[in-house]
Amino acid sequence: MSDTHYPALSDVDAIQRAFESAGYICTTRIATVVRLAAALEKPVLIEGPPGVGKTELAKTCAMVVDRPLVRLQCYEGLDESKALYEWKYGKQLLYTQLLKEQLGEVLDGAKGLSESMQRLHQFGDVFYSEDFLESRPLLKAMEADNGGVLLIDEIDKADFEFESLLLEVLSDFQVSIPELGTIQARSKPLVFLTSNDTRDLSDALKRRCLHLHIPFPSVELEARIVASRVPDLAQSMTDQLVRFVHAIRSLDLKKAPAISETVDWAKSLVLLHARDLDSALVQDTLNVLLKYEEDIQTAEGQLPKLMAAVAG
Amino acid sequence: MATERVDSTLSSTSSDQLLAFIQYLRGKKIPVSPADTLDAIGVAELVGYDDKVLLRDGLASALAKSRHELTLFEAAFEDYFQLPTERFGPSGSNPSEQPNTPSAPDAAPPPDGIVNQTQEDDPLEGLRGNALFDALESRDESALSVAIETAAAEAKVEEISLFTQRGQYVRKILDALGDEALREAAIEFEQSEPAAFEAVQALREQLRERVRDRVERAYLIHASAATEDLLDESLSKLKLGNVDHSQMARLKRLMDRMARKLAARHGRRRRKYRRGKLHVGETVRRAISTDGIPFHPRWRKIERKRPQIMAICDVSGSVAAYAKFLLMFLYALQDVLPRTRSFAFSAALGEVSDLFASLPVEEAIERVNLKYGGATDYGRALQDFSELALAEINRATTVIILGDARNNQADLRVDLLAEIKARSKQVIWLNPESTRLWGTGDSEMLLVKRHCHLVRECNNLKQLERIIDKLLSDKR
Repeated sequence: MSDTHYPALSDVDAIQRAFESAGYICTTRIATVVRLAAALEKPVLIEGPPGVGKTELAKTCAMVVDRPLVRLQCYEGLDESKALYEWKYGKQLLYTQLLKEQLGEVLDGAKGLSESMQRLHQFGDVFYSEDFLESRPLLKAMEADNGGVLLIDEIDKADFEFESLLLEVLSDFQVSIPELGTIQARSKPLVFLTSNDTRDLSDALKRRCLHLHIPFPSVELEARIVASRVPDLAQSMTDQLVRFVHAIRSLDLKKAPAISETVDWAKSLVLLHARDLDSALVQDTLNVLLKYEEDIQTAEGQLPKLMAAVAG
Repeated sequence: MATERVDSTLSSTSSDQLLAFIQYLRGKKIPVSPADTLDAIGVAELVGYDDKVLLRDGLASALAKSRHELTLFEAAFEDYFQLPTERFGPSGSNPSEQPNTPSAPDAAPPPDGIVNQTQEDDPLEGLRGNALFDALESRDESALSVAIETAAAEAKVEEISLFTQRGQYVRKILDALGDEALREAAIEFEQSEPAAFEAVQALREQLRERVRDRVERAYLIHASAATEDLLDESLSKLKLGNVDHSQMARLKRLMDRMARKLAARHGRRRRKYRRGKLHVGETVRRAISTDGIPFHPRWRKIERKRPQIMAICDVSGSVAAYAKFLLMFLYALQDVLPRTRSFAFSAALGEVSDLFASLPVEEAIERVNLKYGGATDYGRALQDFSELALAEINRATTVIILGDARNNQADLRVDLLAEIKARSKQVIWLNPESTRLWGTGDSEMLLVKRHCHLVRECNNLKQLERIIDKLLSDKR
C-alpha cells in the first residue's frame, strides 16, 4: 500500500506522537483510522457531538503532514457551482467584447455563414478552457500538486443531492466537467468529512468512507487535553475542572459542554487567577460552560452534588 | 464457547475467519455489503491480526456505520474474539500446540487405560489401519481436526438454518467421517468382547462430542441469525392480539426498527420540488453584474402546507388485546412524524401526545389505559374530538382512527365523522378485526366505511408497515 504520500502517517504510535506535539491529544482509535485513511486512500467520516474536535482533527492532520488544508463548509443550498467549479462568466463576457476586432480579422474574407463557422471551429472552445474555470474547494483539492487535506465540514447540513455530487470525488478522486472532461486528482488528498448527526447520510456516501465516531473523552484524556491547551492552569485545578465537567455532562442538559467549552473555561479560570474550584467561582463562571439559561439553572440546582463529584 | 472457536482457525486462514466474523455481524443486524467486506480485508491486512485493539478499531471504521452500529459491533467483536490475540492469529495452523481443544480432557475419562488394554487385546487389532480409529486412539489432534473440517465441508454444515437441524448435521458429518465402520465394529464386539466394546464406544462418544461442537459452532455463526429472522418474520405476521407477553420485547424491537426504517425512507428529500416560478425581479437584479445577461436565475419557493396526522385510538375492553399494540403504534408514529397528535378514548376522549412525548413507551401506555380505559362510546368520543380538534383540521390533516367500531348498539354519531371527513385531507379507519367480522353483531364498520376515505384491516406489523408507508408517501 502506498504510504509514500504521507510518510508521517504510516505508524499509529508515530501519529499519536506527532498529533500530540501539534497540540491534539488523540486516542488509538483516532490514530488507527487516520493511518488507515492514508494507507487505503479512503475518506474518513467523523461523527460525534459538537465540540469534540472533529474539525480540529482535520486541521491538525494538515499540520502534521505539512500540506495545505482546503475547507468546504456545508450548508443548505450548497451546490456544485460553489463546491466544485464555476465558469468565470464576467471574464468570458469581457474577453468576447475585447476580442471583437480580432474576431473580425479571423473571419476576414470568409464567405457565408458556414465558412465563418468553419473558421471559428478551428479555434476550439477558447472560452471554455481552464483559463476561465474558477476552482471551488473540491476542485482545488484535486488540483493540489502534492496532495493536501480536504475538509468537508458538517456534511449533514448540505442537501441530500449534494451528497450524490460528492460521490465521484470521494471514490475516484476526480471531477467531471462537461466542457472539459474529467479532471483527475494530481495527488490524492486526505479527505475528512464531519457530521453532527442531524440527519442520516445516504448509504452510498457511508459506504465510501471509513467511519470514526468521536465521543466525549474520558476524564484522563480530557485532563491531558486541557493540560496541553492551557498549560498555565495548575495540575490539581485541571483535574477538578475536568471532573466537574464530567459530572455536569451526566445531567439532563439541552447542550452538554464539549471539550472546547472545557478549554474555554480553563482559560477563563487562568485569567481570573483562580487557585481552587469552589462553589462561588463555579457559579460566577458557569456561563462559559453552559450556553442555555435553563441549563445553567439546572446545574445551579445540582451544584452541591456536582461539587461533591469534584471532591471525590 | 470461546475456546471452541479456536478450532475453526486451525484449519482455515485468518481471512476465512474474518469472513465468518462478518457473517456473524450480519446476524447481529449490522448490514455489511461485499464492498465493506473488501474494505475490512484491506484493513485487516494493514493493521495485522496481532493487536486486538488495533484490529477492533480498524475493522470498526470499515464496518460500523453509525453510533448504533458501533455499539453492536464492539459487543459482537468482544463476543467473537474473547480470547487473547493468538486465537485469531495466522499461527492457527498448528493445532497440536493448542492446549484447550474442546473434547480432549473430560469427555473421555479412560484414555490411557484403554489404550494400554487394547494393545494386549486382539479384537481391536482389526480396526487398526482405519485412519479415523487411529487418530482417535492416538489422540492425534491435527489429524482429527482436519478430518472433521473436511467432513463438515462435505456435509455442507454451513448451510444449517434451523436449530432442529443440528442432530441431522451431526449424523451427516459422522457418516462422512466414516463412523459407520466403528459402529459396526462396536456391534460386533458387543456380545463377545465387552472390554473392546467399551473402548470403541468411548472413542465414538468422544468423536460425537467433537462433531456436536463443530455443528453447534456452525449453527451459532450461520443459523442463529436466520432463526432470529424467522422468529421476527413470523411475529410480524402474527395477529397482535395473540402476541404473548414473552414476545413483547421482540415486538417492541421490531416496531422500533420499523419506525427507524420508515423515518429513513421518508425523512429526507426536504427541499426537493420546492422550486417554483422564475423570480423575475431578483433575476434581473442579479443580472446587472453580467451586463444584463441572466446567468443566475432566481426561483420562487413553493410554500408547502406541512402535513399533519391526528390519530385516535380506542382503548376500551372490546379491543383490550389490541389496545396495547395500537398505542405502541401511535407511540412509534409520533416518533416518526413529530407533528402527530394522539388521542385516546373509550368513552371520554383526551389528547395523549404530551404523555407519549415525555414518557417511555410502557409507562405511557399504562397511564393511557388507566386514564381512558372503560366501555366504548364512539359517539361521545367523536363529540369530544370535534370539540378538541375539529377547528384545527384542514386540507393537510390526515385523521387515523384505530378501533373495532363496535358501539354497543348506541349511536356512533356518523354525522360527526362525515364532518371530519369533509374538512380533512383523508380519514383512515384501521380495524383490528378481520374483514369477515365487519358488520356482524354490533359492529358499525359498514356504516363507518362510507364516511372514511380508506378502511383497512390492521392487526399485524406487516399490514401496519404497509399502511404507514403508503400514508407517508401520499402526503407529498
